[in-house]
Amino acid sequence: MNTEVKRKRINLRRYIPLYIMTIPGLAYLLINNYLPMFGLSIAFKDINYAKGIWGSDWVGFKNFSYLFATSDAYIITRNTILYNAVFIVLGLGFAILIAILLNEIRSRFSQRFYQSVMILPHMISIILVSYLVYALLGPATGFVNKTILPMLGVEPISWYLESKYWPYILTIVHIWKGAGYSCIVFLAAIIGIDREYYEAAGLDGASKWQQIRKITLPMISPIITMLTLLAIGRIFYSDFGLFYQIPMNSGAIYDTTNVIDTYVFRGLMQLGDIGMSAAAGFYQSIVGFVLVLVSNYIVRKIDRDNALF
Amino acid sequence: MKRVMQGSLLLLLSFALILSACGGSNNKDNNGAASGNSENSAESGKPSAAEDDGPVEELIVAFPIVSPDLTGLQLVEQEMNKITESKIKVRVKFMPINAGEWLQRTNLIFSSNEKLDLTYVHGTMYSNMVAKGMLSPLDDLIGEYGSGITASLEQKYLNATKIGGKIYSVPSVRDLAGSYGYTIRKDLVEKHNIDMSAIKTLDDVANVLQLLKEKEPDRVPISTGGTQSFRDVYKFYDELGDNMGVLPHYDNGLKVVNLFETQEYADFVKRIREWYKAGYILSDAATNKLSLVELMSSGKVASYIGMQKPGFDVQETKNNGVEVVSAELNPPYSTTSNITLAMWGIPVHSKLPEKAMKFLNLMYEDENIVNLFSWGIEGTHYVKVQDKIIKYPEGKDANSVGFNSLQWMFGNQFKAYVLESNDPEIWSKMKEFNESATPSKALGFIFDGSNVKTEYAAVSNVINEYKLSLETGSVDPDKILPQFIDKLQAAGIDKIVAEKQKQLDEWAAANGVK
Repeated sequence: MNTEVKRKRINLRRYIPLYIMTIPGLAYLLINNYLPMFGLSIAFKDINYAKGIWGSDWVGFKNFSYLFATSDAYIITRNTILYNAVFIVLGLGFAILIAILLNEIRSRFSQRFYQSVMILPHMISIILVSYLVYALLGPATGFVNKTILPMLGVEPISWYLESKYWPYILTIVHIWKGAGYSCIVFLAAIIGIDREYYEAAGLDGASKWQQIRKITLPMISPIITMLTLLAIGRIFYSDFGLFYQIPMNSGAIYDTTNVIDTYVFRGLMQLGDIGMSAAAGFYQSIVGFVLVLVSNYIVRKIDRDNALF
Repeated sequence: MKRVMQGSLLLLLSFALILSACGGSNNKDNNGAASGNSENSAESGKPSAAEDDGPVEELIVAFPIVSPDLTGLQLVEQEMNKITESKIKVRVKFMPINAGEWLQRTNLIFSSNEKLDLTYVHGTMYSNMVAKGMLSPLDDLIGEYGSGITASLEQKYLNATKIGGKIYSVPSVRDLAGSYGYTIRKDLVEKHNIDMSAIKTLDDVANVLQLLKEKEPDRVPISTGGTQSFRDVYKFYDELGDNMGVLPHYDNGLKVVNLFETQEYADFVKRIREWYKAGYILSDAATNKLSLVELMSSGKVASYIGMQKPGFDVQETKNNGVEVVSAELNPPYSTTSNITLAMWGIPVHSKLPEKAMKFLNLMYEDENIVNLFSWGIEGTHYVKVQDKIIKYPEGKDANSVGFNSLQWMFGNQFKAYVLESNDPEIWSKMKEFNESATPSKALGFIFDGSNVKTEYAAVSNVINEYKLSLETGSVDPDKILPQFIDKLQAAGIDKIVAEKQKQLDEWAAANGVK
């Protein structure tokens, strides 16, 4: 008993520097993630600027009712989850593919060159990307409508007014922009694999494809699982720039471009009602939280070591 | 971007919380005792002329601008402070906001309690702002400090801003009615011998557009400004504040109807669709972000439709930098929206409401202030020809002079100087225009949407989704209009119309309107 207390005290003293080192991180977490949680109360209030946030009247779930008054809640929830699911699967696939291909390039210069070119889109501001896309798809001057479609003998398409094309456009833009960057982690993991495995496989006559399937992929699978889990945890948060800027905020295609983040943003900016947009944000947090719990539960059932908690 | 957005929203919320807490306690401390002002007086440095006690205080004034060049505005600010510091102990600080971002920026300012003492109030936001308690009631302040306001603005116009019997904003003195008309580049009129006096209806406009399409292939015949639809610039009904539930023909026996289900609306969007298909309209009208001024000054667009008033051509020529002429399509009507279109209000979180009212009063009373806002600095931005007639300095025009403001919003326009090229009698003609306009039957009625907030938000979302594409002709109304109407129904527009009818009936009974 006595010795245990003593050991604890020694441990405490030994770890004091570590505890001190956590203070900035904790303070950041507290200020940035916990303090604003008081703001959640706004979702249940009828905000009156004369009375202030605390003084405003409680209205229960009234702020939430507009979300569910139309099919909006269904559409933005569906869009957010489906887009992110596609992004997780395809994004991961392309990132791994690029990492493997880059790894196979023998010339050191070309490898660096291709890697830089791949990462470049990640560095471009989303606003610029939106105009790049517009240069391609613009109705009057766009490259696709002006050059490509006439060559194929197809009538010009009003891209910004037809919602059916946007799931593909947004996915392509997302992959183009993000894959080069997210492949870095996989590339690092692949480079870390012991070359002796490949030499041994080569001696046994394994083809390149077999080597990738039997050595590379199994060796980097822990990283794949981890990144996927992290991505699922954020499945209810969408890339605001992608969904707001790329479609040029065109109303006619809201059906396939409106996600929770853009919905909340438009709600706050156009209606100027912080109660209602706080309600939408609250809804996002709750569903996101549930999704994280569920996905973690599933992972734990399959592979206990890979679960987050 | 995502991160930044989330971060800034969170920050915003936390600031709102912190500030509201601070604000609460500060209010009590600040009353009477002029604490917290030491910094201001120390900064201003000048020993204050001592007729008005207390230090010079900084007053933040927000208004929209269209010109990105702010250097002229800074000069004006300095010049104006010379007047206001001695007259009312106020140092004015402008908060110019790009007109296209006005709604978003002001929403942010109010949500985050950013310091603001006097603000331009746009009519479509007015009742909403009052319902949310964003603006202070002004009746007492006007009574005490607003003699210049009541002297230049007739009581009937002030009454039209009353919500629940109280005035929350003061309209600027300008055109308080509106006619709608067609405006076109003058060089094209001369080149193609277009008879402006023959243009009286949208059919006539269509003929001109067809001619422009054939003869001027490099220009787009007609356009609206970015994020505006053709209905925004051509109204044929009293919008009753927000276009959800309107009064057709400015009367309709005070029966409110859903605009989007009327035959007039269907015909209108069909016509615009025909124009679009014929290639009269900018093909990316639904996503266009360029303002009309940008489109006109670059020469890309030949003509447009808009709300007009006496002296409109001179104003537009000045803004566009190209000479234009206009023809009237609809005679002038006066609605509540015309009066509340441009107003000034004092935010509820302002610490200096008295000073703000004193400054606002100067905007209606003091010729120098009005002209600083309207024309800039004498000698730099304009020179006097006669007493109240001015022109641009030698070799300069509206585009190159370095100062360009939306004059009609600043206080009493009837005190502003008149440009040489304009009619010297413009202000008396404007007065006549205001008085001659047919009043809408619902003139003076303001709708309070707080009882139907849920429906209001949902309907707003639906309108945002369909409005631009439908009313710029970018999509087929035969297919899209029924969809639009269905969605409006689902969002509860009928409930808004019914609520509006109820309030309108009560208003009519209380004001003896039949």
